[in-house]
Amino acid sequence: METLFSTIDAAYMSKLLVILLQGVLTSLRIFAITLVIAVPLGFLVSFAKKSKYKIISVPINIYILIMRGTPLLLQILIVYFGPYYVFNLSYNRFAAIIIAFVLNYAAYFAEIFRGGIESMPVGQYEAAGALGFTKAQTFFRIILPQVVKRILPASANEVITLVKDTALAQTIGVAELFALSSKQASFKTSVIPLFVAGIFYFVLNWAVTAAFAYFEKKLDYYK
Amino acid sequence: MRKMKGKKLLALLLAVLMMATVFVFAGCQSNQKEDTQDEQQQTEETADVQEDAAADTSLDDVMAKGELILGLDDSFPPMGFRNDENEIVGFDIDLAKAVADKLGVTLAVQPISWDAKEMELNSGNIDMIWNGMSYNEERDEAMNLSEPYLNNDMVFVVANGSEIADLEGLKGKTVAVQNGSTAQDILEASDLAADITVVGFKDNMTALLDMEAQGCDAVFMDKVVANYTISANGKDYQVLEEGLSPEVYVIGFRKGDQALRDAVQQALHELKEDGTVAEISTKWFGSDVTIIE
Repeated sequence: METLFSTIDAAYMSKLLVILLQGVLTSLRIFAITLVIAVPLGFLVSFAKKSKYKIISVPINIYILIMRGTPLLLQILIVYFGPYYVFNLSYNRFAAIIIAFVLNYAAYFAEIFRGGIESMPVGQYEAAGALGFTKAQTFFRIILPQVVKRILPASANEVITLVKDTALAQTIGVAELFALSSKQASFKTSVIPLFVAGIFYFVLNWAVTAAFAYFEKKLDYYK
Repeated sequence: MRKMKGKKLLALLLAVLMMATVFVFAGCQSNQKEDTQDEQQQTEETADVQEDAAADTSLDDVMAKGELILGLDDSFPPMGFRNDENEIVGFDIDLAKAVADKLGVTLAVQPISWDAKEMELNSGNIDMIWNGMSYNEERDEAMNLSEPYLNNDMVFVVANGSEIADLEGLKGKTVAVQNGSTAQDILEASDLAADITVVGFKDNMTALLDMEAQGCDAVFMDKVVANYTISANGKDYQVLEEGLSPEVYVIGFRKGDQALRDAVQQALHELKEDGTVAEISTKWFGSDVTIIE
């Protein structure tokens, strides 16, 4: 163990924390932007998948199959380098990361949302119809609030995974938390920076878990 | 009817979304197009030198944007790495800065994944790969390489007190290398290959840590990097005297970018003459170990 700490002292640790905090900011940016776009898009995709029209539902099914069936790592490479090989264009790597993450996570969210919507008993639609609710009213006032309650635990899984998946952004040179910690690990030939990065991820996900627990509790009415 | 409207609206919304995605792809920087057309033109008309020169705008492009973009795997001390201030520094970085100064442009450094270096270069995201890159035939074919600027040996690093003392001692052992490195190619092509087990890692650091944890018996890596790691981080490692074939470091440019490559090469010659190269080399290696003419 002694060699692990050979050139790592308190002064270096404080520098390391500053560097890793910069990485945390980048990771959080990827996380937040992805979430804000992927959740609404996931809702749209879940409706589209249920569409009666094959021209909509078939492509959406293929899209979900591809997104869930291939590694996110590969999707990132294709989104970033693909346009160059097809159209001869290259573009911003941060934008590429956001596009790849949004496309991937929207597919997963869509399936969670679909599961939630389809879990609602048909009797609720019938009752709402009998009471004179329109289709839209039924969905937004009766079905959706219950769906949100039901999909929270499964969504928490995805959101927690997203925090850790931001580490994949380093494949195309985005300096997020894990990338910066591996550079420092190389600089010092030590695993300490990686361990510290692990603590950061843990704390971030602790916060995510706590937030979901809070919302679950808040929505825990009628029970 | 009402239901139909809803579905149509949804279809429309989806169509708009898809269009938007296409525009995001298409809307971003289309200036790379010209470069590649030049490249194609060049390969088609390699015989016609004058046409060639006319088509190669690589140097003009760099001058026009006022920026020379260096791509590197920023975990390769002492050539290019992040220090404890999170700045990208190193011998290659200092040398490239001097070259950029000479050309009258600023140097921009872009961290990339080493496995994707050819893609990064070809897609125009970077102008050159300058990161302790060893010469080999495949790279010579894929890129336009500079003249060698530094000697490098690939060496075996073992833990201090290891029973391995020479190549003979490596037989039956496990040796770790960095994936995508020439160390990997050399080792797998060597006479030793049949007698050893080769394990690939993401970077040299992981390979060295695996050796510390006794997961492998030796690491085959760049001598320059090995020496730096041992001296700067006080690691208890030993470098075997016996190595495999010696190597040289080169800078990689896009295939068609002859003008840019020549300008950088010329700048290096001049920097060698005025003593700047010696100064930078002394800073990192204690003496002028470069082989720039």
